[in-house]
Amino acid sequence: MDKRSMVYILVPLLVLSFVILSSPPSLGQEAGRVSDLQLLARAINGEARGEPYEGQVAVGAVILNRVKSPDFPNTIAGVIYQPGAFTAVADGQINVPIDPKSTVVKAAQDALNGWDPTYGCLYYWNPETATSKWIWSKKVVVKIGKHNFAK
Amino acid sequence: MDNNGITNNEEYQVIKERENKEKKMRKELRDSDARNRAKNFIIAILLATTIFGAYQLNRANTLRRQLDNSYNRAFHELVGYVQNVELMLMKARLASSSEMAAEVLHDVWREASSASSTLTQLPISLGVISNTKKFLTQVSDLSRVIARQSALGMEISEEQEKTLAELHKLSVSLENSLSEMHQDLISGSLKWENVAKEETKEMKEASENMPVTFSNVNSEFEKMPTLIYDGPFSEHMQNRKALGLTGEKVTENQAITNLHKFLGKDRVENVQKLSDNNNGIIDTYNFRVALNGNNKSSNIAEADVSVKGGHVIWFLHNREVGEKTIDVRKAMEIGAEFLKERGFENMKQSYYLNNDGIATINYAYHENGITYYPDLIKVKVALDNGDVVGFEANGYFMNHRDRNLEPPTLTEEEARQLVRKGENIKSSGLAVIPTNYGTELLCYEFKGKLEDRDFIVYINAYTGKEEQVLIIINSEEGILTM
Repeated sequence: MDKRSMVYILVPLLVLSFVILSSPPSLGQEAGRVSDLQLLARAINGEARGEPYEGQVAVGAVILNRVKSPDFPNTIAGVIYQPGAFTAVADGQINVPIDPKSTVVKAAQDALNGWDPTYGCLYYWNPETATSKWIWSKKVVVKIGKHNFAK
Repeated sequence: MDNNGITNNEEYQVIKERENKEKKMRKELRDSDARNRAKNFIIAILLATTIFGAYQLNRANTLRRQLDNSYNRAFHELVGYVQNVELMLMKARLASSSEMAAEVLHDVWREASSASSTLTQLPISLGVISNTKKFLTQVSDLSRVIARQSALGMEISEEQEKTLAELHKLSVSLENSLSEMHQDLISGSLKWENVAKEETKEMKEASENMPVTFSNVNSEFEKMPTLIYDGPFSEHMQNRKALGLTGEKVTENQAITNLHKFLGKDRVENVQKLSDNNNGIIDTYNFRVALNGNNKSSNIAEADVSVKGGHVIWFLHNREVGEKTIDVRKAMEIGAEFLKERGFENMKQSYYLNNDGIATINYAYHENGITYYPDLIKVKVALDNGDVVGFEANGYFMNHRDRNLEPPTLTEEEARQLVRKGENIKSSGLAVIPTNYGTELLCYEFKGKLEDRDFIVYINAYTGKEEQVLIIINSEEGILTM
């Protein structure tokens, strides 16, 4: 092999190794303490970004209702990161940074302040995309935006 | 000449031929060079993808292992906690003195609450673990209640004894199922990856040889007895009634009329019903309200009006808030006036939160010198123009009623003597506070400041027991009115 062909092999390899080394780890990037408000807002952002304001507050309220329920973990982080609980956690949407002025932060604040359009619901799902059969055994309390809410 | 000419011509031909040959050779050489280059490039790409793939596969395997390890750790801890719960519940039934019972039940509380928190870290679908989670939470909750009672020297009642025996039996069966599942996990017939997919695969009761999975474990608890006790997670807390919701059923049209009146006729452009909320506690009509104004996108509010009585339970108007023109004091007046005009008399502000140009003010019912904190209404006032942009009265409608309280047996001065940092007290009064157990307590309330932190101490007005110590967490945004 002559010099030139060596170059042809080495250059892509070099580029590739740079890509690998510089690609950021997908989790745990954030430094510092994430407050409950931030975490809740991010969860709402991941789960209900396109929903009406009331629907965003409702998703926040469901998370807080779970914290109070015996069937679920008793911290906000525990509820949000419970394996399999939220798709936004599974697909990493929860890590998407949010603007502190965005509506999801206000919705999270209202939920923390006690607004609960679901009156104690513990579950919600999008009837168009829900794959779990089990969730359909729940009686729908209210439909807000695209989500069904249930106790 | 001629000869020369011929020779020249021949020579010319030879040279030309040689040149042609050279050209051809050079071209071939060039072609093969290009081909070589292409070949090398393809080799490089293949090599690179292979290396990349191997690297990614290795990384994925490492992560998978790490994940499995942390699940295994959680599972082992869970088994340990459940074994301890079983053991301690047995001990509690054997304990002769209330001191011993208190100590043992304190351990049950701790172990069961660790177990329930560990359980939810496992990748098992929500529907499959809920009964087990509830069992563990209620065991921990109940044992805390009995432990506290034992610490005060009270005996375990016959009823409680029976419940403890029942719970012990259930904990034995949980322990057995978990150790079977443990066997399947260490033998490799059950993998965490599959556990996570359990529900979608409909593994439930598929065959006899099926590894033990959580759905079997969980089904044990479907027949769990309803526990009757005073704890935040007891059944009666989950089946509460709206005590403050008065009036007859109203129609949707009546509800719309009420909503118009509530928000102000000139403020509302139109009201559209979105859905019915059949939550069983306060059933409501859910409305979307278009408010008057130029900006269509930020003039949408949402509101609920109760079917019973046609009361507005809450409304929210989310909009951008401009330059601040009024202070919180003014906002509190606006909020109080807003409530008064809508028939909520005697509401007293207790606390407000100030963020993003909006003050969220808490008002509690106040009568004859007593503040009733369960009867809570929250009002959001935008500090740019003083609009009320939010209202929430769930607490009020759940709790407000005539209570007919006995007069306190302690005087305020006697209660004040019981507060440790008595010299820091800024204000005081009588207050009814909610407990975690769905009950209420009449207390003397002492508000004060310790090292810039606002605190409230509640002393029971009948017994002098210190019922609650509260500290305002975020004192930059949240302010206690004194």
